[in-house]
Amino acid sequence: MHVVIINGSPRVQKYSNTEKIIASFAKGLSEKGVTFETYAVSDRSSWESIRKAYMENEEILIALPLYVECIPGLLLEFLETLPQKDEHTRLSFLLQSGFSEGCQLRCGEGFLKELPGYLGVRYGGCLVKGDNFGIRFLDQEKQERITKPYQAMGELFARGDGFFGEEAKKFTGPEYFSLPMRLLLQFLFKTLSRKLFQKVAASWGCTVPLAEKIWETD
Amino acid sequence: MILMLDTTREQIGKQLAEEMLHSGVSSASYELIDTTKLHISHCVGCNVCWLKTPGICAIKDDYAPILEKMSKANQVWLISDTHFGFVSYQTKNIVDRVMPLVTMYLQIKNGQTRHVMRYDHQPDFGIIYTGDGKQDYLEWWCQRLTLNFGSRSLGVFPAEHSKEAVTCML
Repeated sequence: MHVVIINGSPRVQKYSNTEKIIASFAKGLSEKGVTFETYAVSDRSSWESIRKAYMENEEILIALPLYVECIPGLLLEFLETLPQKDEHTRLSFLLQSGFSEGCQLRCGEGFLKELPGYLGVRYGGCLVKGDNFGIRFLDQEKQERITKPYQAMGELFARGDGFFGEEAKKFTGPEYFSLPMRLLLQFLFKTLSRKLFQKVAASWGCTVPLAEKIWETD
Repeated sequence: MILMLDTTREQIGKQLAEEMLHSGVSSASYELIDTTKLHISHCVGCNVCWLKTPGICAIKDDYAPILEKMSKANQVWLISDTHFGFVSYQTKNIVDRVMPLVTMYLQIKNGQTRHVMRYDHQPDFGIIYTGDGKQDYLEWWCQRLTLNFGSRSLGVFPAEHSKEAVTCML
């Protein structure tokens, strides 16, 4: 098997969480003897070569971040430029998000399920996983540790059955948080996580409160 | 205030505005923006509007005034062509760029994680679309979009039924 992996994130590759996830996933592919080539839609100058790879290969995986309940505008623009293919080609997805619960990604997954039909190709399933917002803020060693579970998903994908099995479904984690978990999170969101975000902001040179209002509303 | 953001190639917002006047929507109560002549980039996910200059987008193009008008509007109508059954990338770019209205802070709201909004007032959203839009999916997406704002979906209407959308504006 040879997989064309397209990073569908509009963020520059250097800071792309999706890029780190792909790296770990691809390690899993390599472990099982599957080869791959990677592209990123954030670099418009590469769109022609991405289209070429898409047209010439039959195993395509788009890894992407959730943007406002669906796919990012830039990826949507790129997809509008793809020519039709047939069902020999399989298109699978790895949808990741900042929000943690599975329920947050279902609307995005709903779009991705239908997309291959519009392109004329076969759907290979969608791996869904949240809680990835923080990856970019970690050092390389911690990034590798936190994205490690995706390696097993690469190994799973190498078996050739896409993301339809139970293992892929389980990888999403809880669909909703339990009540005790929600209470704990609510407490953390109001305390520790605010401090953490403020610390990151300070390191970015932010000098105003994170809830700063730019204009007054009635 | 009603804000209508028209990204359609045929600029169907103009016809809609006529229908609105016929139906008694006062011309002072809405603003129609034809975005096809504006330069509006996609969101690049840089997080600057959350963590470096809270509330201010790092991209300097024609979007900033639209963002402020959206924030203050009671209703935002996305008038869009459709592709893959969904809104066009031009419309999605406008929606992806709302992140400055959201803060970095999180909360649990109605059982799910949500961002804390930057402003107290939130607009409701509706969609009017041309072409082969997938009605049930667009409704689902508009519900989820407004869930994030803590506001309401005004509904999703094919352009040929835009009169029904107008009744939501009265």
